[in-house]
Amino acid sequence: MIRLRAHGHSATPGPITLSRQPGLMRSTATSPAPTSDTELIARAAGGDERAMGDLYDRYGQVLYAVAYRIVGQRADAEEVVLDSFAQAWRDATRFESARGSVAGWLTTIARSRALDLVRARGRRDRITATAAAERPDSSPAMGGWRADPSLGVEHAERRAAVQLALESLSPPQRRAIELAFYDGLSQSEIAELLQEPLGTIKTRVRLGMQKLREYLRPFYFERGP
Amino acid sequence: MSHPEHETPQDLAAAYALGALSPEETKEFEAFLKGSPEAQREVAEYREIGALLALTGSDAAPSPGLRDRVVSRMHGHIFPAAAPARASGPVARPGPAWGAMAAGLLAAVGLGFGYVQMREVTDLRKEISRVREQYNNISGILAERDATIKQLVGPGVQLFQLTASGDPNPAIQLFWDRAQNHAVVHGHKLKAVPQGKAYQLWFIKDGSPVPSVTFKPDPTGDVHLEQISVPADGELSAAAVTLEPEAGSAQPTSPILLVGKLKES
Repeated sequence: MIRLRAHGHSATPGPITLSRQPGLMRSTATSPAPTSDTELIARAAGGDERAMGDLYDRYGQVLYAVAYRIVGQRADAEEVVLDSFAQAWRDATRFESARGSVAGWLTTIARSRALDLVRARGRRDRITATAAAERPDSSPAMGGWRADPSLGVEHAERRAAVQLALESLSPPQRRAIELAFYDGLSQSEIAELLQEPLGTIKTRVRLGMQKLREYLRPFYFERGP
Repeated sequence: MSHPEHETPQDLAAAYALGALSPEETKEFEAFLKGSPEAQREVAEYREIGALLALTGSDAAPSPGLRDRVVSRMHGHIFPAAAPARASGPVARPGPAWGAMAAGLLAAVGLGFGYVQMREVTDLRKEISRVREQYNNISGILAERDATIKQLVGPGVQLFQLTASGDPNPAIQLFWDRAQNHAVVHGHKLKAVPQGKAYQLWFIKDGSPVPSVTFKPDPTGDVHLEQISVPADGELSAAAVTLEPEAGSAQPTSPILLVGKLKES
């Protein structure tokens, strides 16, 4: 369980405290230790396709969420998720836990494929449509996820933490990071789009990400040994 | 705001993890990265932030059949196309399931028939996989339509019309789900936009325009947009459409083309 405490109104970014209550996450003393993500990848690398099914249960929704946000259509987002897991299956033997978590690796694949799809189809309008859209701030997080209810809760808790952390950023910092992450824009492109100096955008991205890192360290997905 | 006048390679780690460096910067940073374990750790950590940001991507859920499609695509890679893919990686995939199955089949039917039998099994698996994929695709399409219908007729969803001086065409129907603060937009008979331009939707909140999505109609003049976020706080009085640069504007730069009140009459 993650405790989230925001001080001040959400529209006014202020100091936030994010802490995780130990012992109440999915791995409890009474339940068997779940297979780690890196173990699942190792099994996939050994040809065990069920391991990919298990990874889908854990991260399929996460990949779909980012893909949908980028491509804006269900069918395309599902195609991105399919391609991403297929790529992960092919490249499982190349996964290096020292370079980050399985979740980070899968997300990078999905985001990259989604951006490639948008670019390939020349659907710039789709990009700007999602870029210009304001972010939902009161909708239930991951409400539709059914594969593993405990994971749904865990993802929802993490997501709430991320939303609070994002609210702690200044709106220009948040905007710059979202344009980079969801729209695949380079810092130069962001500067051009927002008609701001490149140095300003670089500072916003760097400081914003540093702040997110500071707040979100307790919420990282599983890391390798 | 301070500017990065004395930018160090380390300062680029966050932007690199976001994929926000230019191709030249990326090349330079990757050269630096090879010799800097500290920067490698930083990039890895910023990639974790990326994984967490992904959680806020969308509330939409994939169709229930997607898991089966993912797993069935693994089948497609195990049989017969797997071998070249495995060989290309630095660590060869052992493929115990394939080896055991192949050995079992050969032992059961003899070496002479083994090859033919395996080809038949492979063909059948491919056919099953193809049919399953077709079924899942159709299921996905139906699920998508169901989801759209639910967004249009769900409880609390209200329909508003955006028109030009009340003319029936062109027009936009805005289905506003107040509970979720989402909207679905369906427009028809919209004129094609000039090169470099797009329509932009605005919400009028507390008397001021709030920018929303930009869009272009298809060749028939129709447009359909889903999952449009509606400003949550403040009083929404109307929605409007203007013609703007393709990337969108922070404030309207052209006259209103379509407008409609967002209040119950």
